[in-house]
Amino acid sequence: MTNQTNVKLRLNNSELWGGLIGLALGGFVIWQGLKLKLGTINDPGSGYVLFYTGILMCVFAGAIIVSAITEGGPTLASRWENVRWSKPLLLIACLVAFSVALEPLGFLLSSIPLMLLLLRLIDPVRWTLAIPIAVLVPSGMWWVLKRVLLIQLPSGLFGIG
Amino acid sequence: MDTLVNVAHGFGVALLPVNLLYCFIGVFIGTLVGVLPGIGPISAMSLLLPVTLSGTPESGIIMMAGIYYGSMYGGSTTSILVNIPGEAASVVTCIDGHQMAKQGRAGPALGISAFGSFIAGTFALIALMLVAPKLASVAIAFGPAEYFSLMVLGLVVLTFLTQGSMPKALLMACIGVVLGLIGLDSITAQPRLTFGRMELIDGIGLVPVVMGLFGVAEVLLNTEQAIKRDIINTRITHLLPTREDWTASAGPVGRGTLLGFFLGILPGGGAVVASFASYALEKRLSKTPERFGHGAIEGVAGPESANNAAAGGAFIPLMTLGIPPNVVMALLLGAFVIHGLQPGPLLITQNPGLFWGIVASMYIGNVMLLILNLPLIGMWVQLLKLPYNILFPLIILFTILGVYCSSNNVFDVYVMIAFGIIGYFMRKLGYEPAPLVLAFVLGPMMENNLRKSLILSQGDLWTFVQRPISAVCLAFALVLLIAPLLPSLRKKREMVALDEGA
Repeated sequence: MTNQTNVKLRLNNSELWGGLIGLALGGFVIWQGLKLKLGTINDPGSGYVLFYTGILMCVFAGAIIVSAITEGGPTLASRWENVRWSKPLLLIACLVAFSVALEPLGFLLSSIPLMLLLLRLIDPVRWTLAIPIAVLVPSGMWWVLKRVLLIQLPSGLFGIG
Repeated sequence: MDTLVNVAHGFGVALLPVNLLYCFIGVFIGTLVGVLPGIGPISAMSLLLPVTLSGTPESGIIMMAGIYYGSMYGGSTTSILVNIPGEAASVVTCIDGHQMAKQGRAGPALGISAFGSFIAGTFALIALMLVAPKLASVAIAFGPAEYFSLMVLGLVVLTFLTQGSMPKALLMACIGVVLGLIGLDSITAQPRLTFGRMELIDGIGLVPVVMGLFGVAEVLLNTEQAIKRDIINTRITHLLPTREDWTASAGPVGRGTLLGFFLGILPGGGAVVASFASYALEKRLSKTPERFGHGAIEGVAGPESANNAAAGGAFIPLMTLGIPPNVVMALLLGAFVIHGLQPGPLLITQNPGLFWGIVASMYIGNVMLLILNLPLIGMWVQLLKLPYNILFPLIILFTILGVYCSSNNVFDVYVMIAFGIIGYFMRKLGYEPAPLVLAFVLGPMMENNLRKSLILSQGDLWTFVQRPISAVCLAFALVLLIAPLLPSLRKKREMVALDEGA
């Protein structure tokens, strides 16, 4: 990663965006703290710590923003320079698809395709090895959990698993 | 005399067949995750946290502790043979350890690292036995103000030692506190930040957060680059160091042990910082510092002893004060809580079997590790040849199952995936997850103690300054917060800054 790509006062400065996200989160926490009631210093309410933590978040995010403006920082693109950025993206897509499929399809029907995708998409493992691993490992784990440890895994709409 | 009786009682617990088995499983898995690059003790412990539910508290905690100190042993193998640290505390071992291996001295490097670790681990246990009960009796007098200030200090030390800018680390710690507060307010029972979701009423679980931020995010980062391994292929012989090796290593082992133990006790410190500090110390004390970086055995002996001693020392604040000094100990705290136990000053008196059983199991675990890491070194070397493209889908599957089994709740799997994605982007933008996780665990305790002290003192903030222990902790925390503003101190901080998440 090339952190040396300093760009001052540019909108693609990654430090600036990090600070702005922190500031927004801090503002949200302050608002939530106020909603929950602060109470008094003698008897702090449910929102007391949240409110002051939110203020601290804004202060630290402010420091990050000031530093991004005065000292610059690496661009967003430079954070993904010289790396295979598409691989984590593919992995994230697989995980999101798995989380969507887990409840309706159940553990077995969602984890076998997940394993197959991970074995073939990122750094492809040959089919003759990928298919047995993708089928046997989740099935083996399912059997151990269900039969030995008596843990019920999601079985989905089809009741498989 | 009391200590000897307690140790005998502890061995009685630790030598039960079931506890011996859990101890062996713990140190075996610890060595395994230490050896394999890409998974650290944090991921492994969070993965196995649900397993602790199936046995007694002693068995579960013995296993978790075994994973931690076992990974310290195993990490050195990968550092020496492959030049990739198996876990963060072994980063510094790569420098001289791999050079020794390239010069055909992999055996003595592995040998001194195992013996140094054994000596340091044993010393840390003896010190733990002697110090912990005394500190626990002092800690009974601690009030909420002291606890609050100690936790603030722990968080500030960790943010000080974390890589990258301090405001970023502090922002992460604040986010951790907020996440820790999700769920019912412990005093008023009012739901906070639950957005009407029933799943959030009990808060977010530690396991999905840690597995996401460390396990899934680590895999996402690792897939960005093909992991290249430069494994030393020569036969590993002469594991027993020679007389010259011992002469050169005796001082570094002794100094590393003492330094590591004290750094391990400090909140926010731990094995990583101890290994770096020991390396710097040995290089400074050496008459021939130019040998460092070119295969000096002192550069392996010191840091490896230091990280094991620190792993033992880190148990002291957890067992005596109930405050985890680092993320690994925070997970161990999670294991205690799962079993309805609260580590703290009363643990040793109320649960002597548990405390002394864990301590005794660590002796046994250290002996097991010596056997696992020397005669069986060939097995670990073979394991290093397992390709990462097969390993990472298995890690993902195990994390999913681990999270699901910890709560039998699909929602936790979603939380883990979400935190995995957040953790990946956080790391890409230079935000370290370690302060977030420690603050996540400490947040509810901090809030509770802060509110209690304010209620007890009727809103008098001076209560934190009038109590000496609290005042010292806050003053030290303040110094660390101001330190990065001074250019000379900022440089020093950058030199010691560590990456807990690695």
